[in-house]
Amino acid sequence: MLAFEATWSLMTPEIVLGALAMLVFTIDFMTGIHEKKPFIGRLSIFSLLVTAVLVLVMNPQGGQIGDTFLVDPFAMVFKLIILVGVALVIMMSMNYLDRNEDIYQGEYYSILLFTALGAMIMVSSADLITLFIGLEIVSISSYALAGFKKHNIDSTEASIKYIVLGGTASAFILFGMSYLYGLTGTTSLYEIGAAMPELFADYTVMIMISLLFMLGGFGFKVSMVPFHMWAPDVYYGAPTPVTAFLATVSKLAAFGIIIRVFTLGFESIYAEWAFIVATIAAITMIVGNFIALTQQDVKRLMAYSGIAQAGYILVPIATVLNNFSITVIIFYSVAYIMMTLGAFSIITLVSEQSGRKTGMDTFAGLYQRSPYMAVAMAIFLLSLAGLPFTAGFIGKANIFLLAINGNMLWLAIIMIVTSIISFYYYFGVIKQMFMAEPKPNAEEIKVPGGIQAVVTVTLAGTVLLGILPNLLLDLFTGFNWMI
Amino acid sequence: MQLAWLIPVFPLIAFLILLFFGRLLQEKSAYVGIAALALSFIYSVLALFERVGGETYTYVFEWMTFGETSLTMGYEVTALNAMMLIVVTVVSLLVHVFSREYMHEDHRIHVFYSYLGLFSFSMLGLVLAPNILQLFIFWELVGLCSFLLVGFWYFKPEAASAAKKAFLTTRIGDVGLLIGLVLLFNEVGSFAYADIYAAVENGMVEQPMVTAIALLVFLGAVGKSAQFPLHVWLPDAMEGPTPVSALIHAATMVAAGVYLVGVMYPVFLASETALTVVAYTGAITAFFAATMALVMTDIKRVLAYSTISQLGFMILALGTAGYVAGLFHLMTHAFFKALLFLGAGSVIVAVHHRQDISVMGGLWSKMKITSVTFLIGALAIAGIFPLAGFWSKEEILASALLNGNGFLFGLALVTAFMTAFYMFRLFFKTFTGDYRGAHDDEDEADGHGEDDHHGEPHENTGFMTMPLVVLAVLAVTAGFVNLPFIGYPLEGFLTAGLNLGDQPHGELWLAFLSLAVAAGGILLAWAMYYKGSISEDFFAAKAPAVHKLLLNKYYLDELYTAVFVKPTVAVGRFFWEMDKGIVDGMVNLIGRFTSTSGRTFGKTHNGQLQTYGVVSVLGGIVVIAIAFVLRGYFG
Repeated sequence: MLAFEATWSLMTPEIVLGALAMLVFTIDFMTGIHEKKPFIGRLSIFSLLVTAVLVLVMNPQGGQIGDTFLVDPFAMVFKLIILVGVALVIMMSMNYLDRNEDIYQGEYYSILLFTALGAMIMVSSADLITLFIGLEIVSISSYALAGFKKHNIDSTEASIKYIVLGGTASAFILFGMSYLYGLTGTTSLYEIGAAMPELFADYTVMIMISLLFMLGGFGFKVSMVPFHMWAPDVYYGAPTPVTAFLATVSKLAAFGIIIRVFTLGFESIYAEWAFIVATIAAITMIVGNFIALTQQDVKRLMAYSGIAQAGYILVPIATVLNNFSITVIIFYSVAYIMMTLGAFSIITLVSEQSGRKTGMDTFAGLYQRSPYMAVAMAIFLLSLAGLPFTAGFIGKANIFLLAINGNMLWLAIIMIVTSIISFYYYFGVIKQMFMAEPKPNAEEIKVPGGIQAVVTVTLAGTVLLGILPNLLLDLFTGFNWMI
Repeated sequence: MQLAWLIPVFPLIAFLILLFFGRLLQEKSAYVGIAALALSFIYSVLALFERVGGETYTYVFEWMTFGETSLTMGYEVTALNAMMLIVVTVVSLLVHVFSREYMHEDHRIHVFYSYLGLFSFSMLGLVLAPNILQLFIFWELVGLCSFLLVGFWYFKPEAASAAKKAFLTTRIGDVGLLIGLVLLFNEVGSFAYADIYAAVENGMVEQPMVTAIALLVFLGAVGKSAQFPLHVWLPDAMEGPTPVSALIHAATMVAAGVYLVGVMYPVFLASETALTVVAYTGAITAFFAATMALVMTDIKRVLAYSTISQLGFMILALGTAGYVAGLFHLMTHAFFKALLFLGAGSVIVAVHHRQDISVMGGLWSKMKITSVTFLIGALAIAGIFPLAGFWSKEEILASALLNGNGFLFGLALVTAFMTAFYMFRLFFKTFTGDYRGAHDDEDEADGHGEDDHHGEPHENTGFMTMPLVVLAVLAVTAGFVNLPFIGYPLEGFLTAGLNLGDQPHGELWLAFLSLAVAAGGILLAWAMYYKGSISEDFFAAKAPAVHKLLLNKYYLDELYTAVFVKPTVAVGRFFWEMDKGIVDGMVNLIGRFTSTSGRTFGKTHNGQLQTYGVVSVLGGIVVIAIAFVLRGYFG
């Protein structure tokens, strides 16, 4: 087989991460199941960082293994985002795990490492099978993670819902893929892309069914409307750091494959689907932002806000598909992961200090209880809303300008109007933090080191990219994302 | 001028110092803020002098590359912003000084000063911006700071909701501004003022597009400068500490809107329609706000409506090609409005943090400095010769008459009359007659009451009176920079190098007419509230319905709640119910699917799993169906 003569060294980071994940897994078995195991957490973070370094130094020129596995700037940047994201999730989890005795710590860490591995495979794949395997590694690990507090009814419920609906999503994706395979006889996205113009002319309906089913299936993962319904319940029930993971790494990796599949496979019929994506983006922004207005629970609020954010990221895809729109998306992804992880780490902290509740009123008077956390949270929320001097503003401004340049004025206006609406609910939280008295029995919050670190890193990123966006934009503009 | 970038940096440094060390400094925080603003002021004066003798100075650097275009940041010193720098730094500095005493009992004084620093930084940054994107960035920051400051006494529920209202109402205007900016960028390919001016003057932008852009940008100004119909936030913003009101009303927040129109003036000039809309918005705002000011009994609310009304004057002037008149009034108004607000603050402290003018009175003999300076402010805003307000208001009337029409001019004239009337109603009720607040000290109007402060009102210390005196001097003299006898020097300065057409100037009779109208208003107030020859309730009794309508601010708040707020939340609810309920019913209709399999997961209490699955599948089918119908794959 051709594949055996390929440069397997391209896969070094994945192989190393897989090995380290197995190592973590094994050490976990050897040390008993119930203990607190902070060293495994540290080892996991170390593994992720080692992998990140390998991504950077191995094969900087890129390459591919057959038609199935790609290493290009697009994959590399996404992998870095994923690895850093998972590392931050683990960092914010460590204190949470120590406080929740019903979680088996070792398993938690190793499963998170496997999700990182799956996500890396996803963004590198150029073949439907590879892609699906990566996706399922992430999905199945996520189902387990969502139900990790196995004696907690919300968590269990979240897990079951996620399994059933996630399974439906996988079915959607496979169904769409089966049409493509049936028509082309190949699973390679390159070959599918090459055959696409001719195929579309001959089998318009079948190609569109396949495209839309795949879009719907991926849409589950990124929580776009009308495939968003699992998100609020799962986000609410899952352990908060897992929610953070689902809202960031899992979602962004899914965006990675949407871009990959639609660029490689369906680019030639862009005109046929751009409008559909634009419409879905518009509906997603509207529904997400409007429902968020009514929410009184912070995790559900973040779920709907996350749905709205998914709508924003869809805008560039709907507008134009080129190197520059990918730059815009990746910049927004970086901003998004920073502000969302930052916000979730503070939500973890606050809810743990308020008896695991996540109502909006748990944030009352946070400024008095922990000024740094309150200010940081305010900045994350303002960044999510898109206020200047934050990374979120730059990201959104880029998307606006792109939409305008691409003659999608109506979409840009919907985005502007809905993001104005979003200020309303983000300000609800800010008002609680700064303009409400703490509850009588609330104490000053002691911030654990892990959360402190995550907040500081993400805060620095959010503000720095808001003031000096060129740090990343210059770098990204120089990339030829897809080889 | 090369060092002009330092002007906003000083308050920023003060902000950072207070953010990190405020708790240690406590009351000394005030001096950090005052020192920073003093430095900013000195540099502003230097910048102004250099600019008067020189050319516009611009410095830009590349900030963000966006595809092939790159966006720049930087600063520039033009005639307009050199003037604005002075206004902002003077008022801000005096507010800083005043607050030292006003806020000294508040244990969060360091937070207060840090916000003030950030506020001044934002406004100065806004003024120095060489392109409209940078202006927008600082514009948003200004809004955020006003949110923080208006809600400073968050333990008062009204303050917290006023803060939110201020921020969110102005955001409605910001939608327009942002869309306008994006359209402008699309047309011109640059955010820099110079490029925009050039493009508009060369007719590069098509006519309907110019109008659209101008109107959208103007919407931003309407929100920020509290013009009708988005003015509702400003009176509520009175819940903030009084020095903040002075800052918001005179030099920062609301001035930003007028400044925006001023700085984008060539775009407005290019569109007849836009100018007309601007003029009518201004005139109507001026008129309506003045009518509401007639009946308010809260000292700060009267001033708030007078601010809205005066801003209406400025906008009216700008809408009738009176570029200099509008900006001239922006400057003079900044001084006397700051004076009036700080004077009101001084009064409020003296009467133990109450704001209702019906429990004041007789303060003239008890607080000499406050009274005299307040009188000067009132005369200035009423437009009495030779105070600052006289000169600028006369120019506004001239431009409404010469470039507007009889209706605009009439409205402006009636408003000028009402201005004089309500200001002196306020003055007489507060400072003359007998003190009416001696015996009911127990009902504290404010969460601020301290028991050791009972007793007769008396004059405040130098920290509070010194700013009043300085502002009073400015309220008298600021008008002299554009005297007709010496050839309108301010006009020459502001219009040099710009292609703005001739500025309207009134003839001598207009000056006398405006003076007579102002005097008439004062006289009527005197007759009603000092002499008592006309009953105070004369008008209220004659037209109770009108009185009630005015007292309830034309029911606009209620209207907006019913028309905008509730529907928005209702839409949210509706989508949510769709997510939760309606869909559920639909599924029940489809079959017993839910009821049978529902038992399996019966214990789940928030949301039916099957429902989600069905909705997703149905949703997918609907998406596919719509897509197919739209693209016509079936036909």
